[in-house]
Amino acid sequence: MLAVFTFVIEVLAVVVAGTVGGIVTARLVRGSRQRKRARLAAGPRRALLAFVADNGEEGSHDLVAIPADAWRAAEPHALALLQKLRGEAHLGLVSVFLRRGVARTAMGHLRSRSRVRRARAAQVLGDLELRQAVPALCELLTDRHAEVRVVAVRALGRIGDPAAAWRIIASLDRADPIPSLLASHTLVQLGADAEVTVSAALDHPQARVRAVCLDALGLLGATASVHRIARVLREDSHLDVRVAAAAALGKLGTRTALDPLTLALHPSRPTPLRVAAARALGDLGAPSAVPTLAGLLTDEAFAVAHEAAHALRRLGRPGLEALHYAHVGSGVAAAHASEALAYAQVVDGQSSVRSGAAGGAVGWVPA
Amino acid sequence: MGSGVTRELVREILSWTDWGIFAYFVALNSSYLALLLMAGLEFARHLRRLPFAGADDMFRSPLTLPVSVIVPAYNEGPGIVAAVQAMTALRYPRYEVVVVDDGSSDDTFERLREQFDLVEVPRLVPADVPYEGDVLSVHVARADPETLTVVRKTNGGKADALNVGINLARHPLICMVDADSVLDPDALLSVAKPFGDDPLRVAACGGVVRIANGCKVLGGRVVDVRMPRQWLVRIQVVEYLRAFLMGRTGWSRLGGLVVISGAFGVFRRDLVVEVGGMDRDTIGEDAELVVRLHHHLRGQRHDYRVIFVAEPVSWSEAPSTWRVLGRQRRRWHRGIAEILRKHRGMIANPRYGRIGLIALPYYVIFELLAPFVELSALVLVPLGLWADAVDVAFAWRFVLVAYGYGLLVSLASLFIEEVSFHRYPRWGDLARGVAAAVMENFGYRQILAVWQITGALSAWRGGKGTWGTMHREGFSTPDFVSGRVP
Repeated sequence: MLAVFTFVIEVLAVVVAGTVGGIVTARLVRGSRQRKRARLAAGPRRALLAFVADNGEEGSHDLVAIPADAWRAAEPHALALLQKLRGEAHLGLVSVFLRRGVARTAMGHLRSRSRVRRARAAQVLGDLELRQAVPALCELLTDRHAEVRVVAVRALGRIGDPAAAWRIIASLDRADPIPSLLASHTLVQLGADAEVTVSAALDHPQARVRAVCLDALGLLGATASVHRIARVLREDSHLDVRVAAAAALGKLGTRTALDPLTLALHPSRPTPLRVAAARALGDLGAPSAVPTLAGLLTDEAFAVAHEAAHALRRLGRPGLEALHYAHVGSGVAAAHASEALAYAQVVDGQSSVRSGAAGGAVGWVPA
Repeated sequence: MGSGVTRELVREILSWTDWGIFAYFVALNSSYLALLLMAGLEFARHLRRLPFAGADDMFRSPLTLPVSVIVPAYNEGPGIVAAVQAMTALRYPRYEVVVVDDGSSDDTFERLREQFDLVEVPRLVPADVPYEGDVLSVHVARADPETLTVVRKTNGGKADALNVGINLARHPLICMVDADSVLDPDALLSVAKPFGDDPLRVAACGGVVRIANGCKVLGGRVVDVRMPRQWLVRIQVVEYLRAFLMGRTGWSRLGGLVVISGAFGVFRRDLVVEVGGMDRDTIGEDAELVVRLHHHLRGQRHDYRVIFVAEPVSWSEAPSTWRVLGRQRRRWHRGIAEILRKHRGMIANPRYGRIGLIALPYYVIFELLAPFVELSALVLVPLGLWADAVDVAFAWRFVLVAYGYGLLVSLASLFIEEVSFHRYPRWGDLARGVAAAVMENFGYRQILAVWQITGALSAWRGGKGTWGTMHREGFSTPDFVSGRVP
């Protein structure tokens, strides 16, 4: 048995020494690689900066002529630069990438067996904002790996081709869909031309699809879709979808949204919906919402009363007057009004707050 | 004759016990090594995906989920301003910082008021989760009232302070951060990203905590990572790498993460409210919340994930004296004991999947009991020698294998750290890390075991735990080096 122990100790000693050696070797190799990469990338980086400083007008031939190993070393820097540039400089740098065959290689890698390579290729094509890549990227929306689908969606968003809208919407209708917030943001990036497609999807049988489209329509400023969104707010069977509809109506800021939002505040409606509707009325900026919101200051649901008070604050003078009125009273409404008025004074710099609104009692817990 | 038989029996028992202890050490270190290997794989996976991780897209998206960063503070005067400055300068599209001053007796609040020009507002505090202390006042920063809120309350403990913060949090995600922490600029983006990538399933996400002592902190940011000056803290650096960075990453990959440090973790607010917020009767309230979330979500057959991200990080000040370290470790072990006792119904219960069948039994055997076994070894091996149950040749080999294997695990952590994150760029720091891995075995582990046993026993005795005080040296000096008094 002692012999076994002795052998184990010897093995351990070798492995421990090997691990220490591994640490030192890893550091030496890393340092050597970094120095080599820095040396190779130094020239191309200078050329890239000069090219960008010239707004992409001169130096493209020099960049195309950079040897492959030096370009490889500088490519991460070039891609990072690409994401920060706009206008002529961006187009100029994209043309350099294209002439170097980066896009062609990336298009080939979209069919690679490695999911990492497919995702990297999609990322590069998105950075290049290459419209010709849209059909191939749309194909990736059905990739079996979620991380590849996510990168493809982001790339489509950067390219901003509205033709991709329905494919993105369709990719939400699967058991393992792309994240909703990413889908909404991408649909927004596709621009106003995608509004018709996104609006039509409000009739989609999947609740998730409808909620995503509502988020996107709100950010797109799709005022032509207000009636459809109001219908969803009234009739949809899913609470999350109705909450999204209320938020979208608030963002769109049209008068026609007032009635459906007011109806959504009825005490018989679920609290999350009433909270969203109260917030949306504040976003809407319609003074005619003041009486409705003022009435909610005494609401039994803390979140509804709280949201109503801050919505009144955002409505400006008529809302503040209602808050003053509630503030002189007592109880829950006065407490909510007092808080909102104090915030008005600090956040919005409103000077009309009467004495006693700011400071004072806190830590009030609703019964 | 009778005494001879008894003596023989004692020898036999001692001999078998020593073998049992040896087997335990081998199993313990093997489990660490397995977790390290999984962490290594996870880091490789993470680093390959960095070029297309999409952090910039998340930063630019108007739909990125906003976060409420909750910072409980108790007598954190020296470092609170730098910490809050760093937190209000994070790279994240929309977030607020809620500092809860839990009845500090020092100048924590005054420093904040002076630095951020705080204005009192009559903010109402909903009672979404229960809290005990009285809220005295709520303040906002005049220049940026939507971003910074400071609450003053009577002392009620860290969990109570967190519950007040949860009640005041306005956003769907809450991030709990210790007041002595300095976050990397992209830390919040990284730790909140999983919620955007997998919004239906991610319930909580932990971030890695590293030791800030010795590092250069400028403008609330760690700008130069260095090893601390004291060996006591250097050993903790290695310990943090092995247990927190590698261990938790490994558990995350296994789907069995049960600890998210209170120093840096993000949770879905609705779920935290659903389970009743932080438990005010448990001293390890951070880990208890995670176990309770598992209990609740597994019990309801939810499809969910609790995960850990390895970078960027939150930097925290580690104890630089034995006295403070002792208090911390007693508290931590007491926390483990309390959590395991409270959720004992989950242990070895197939209803709770990997948590019940793997993670919690592991915590009982290799976390809760480890110091007891370690101290037993320190007593029984010499006893075995004395009783002739074990011979000297066996004993020194036994010790060498047990501690040598432990050393190998620590060195493997340093190796993985070097290959993946390479946070300590100086050769001298690397050498100090290796030396600390060796020194950990001489005295440090044994003293730790004594404190841990005391902590576990205090959980057994019951009674209410306290925050405890930790002497803070703060991050505000230009080249702050913790471990020496400025």
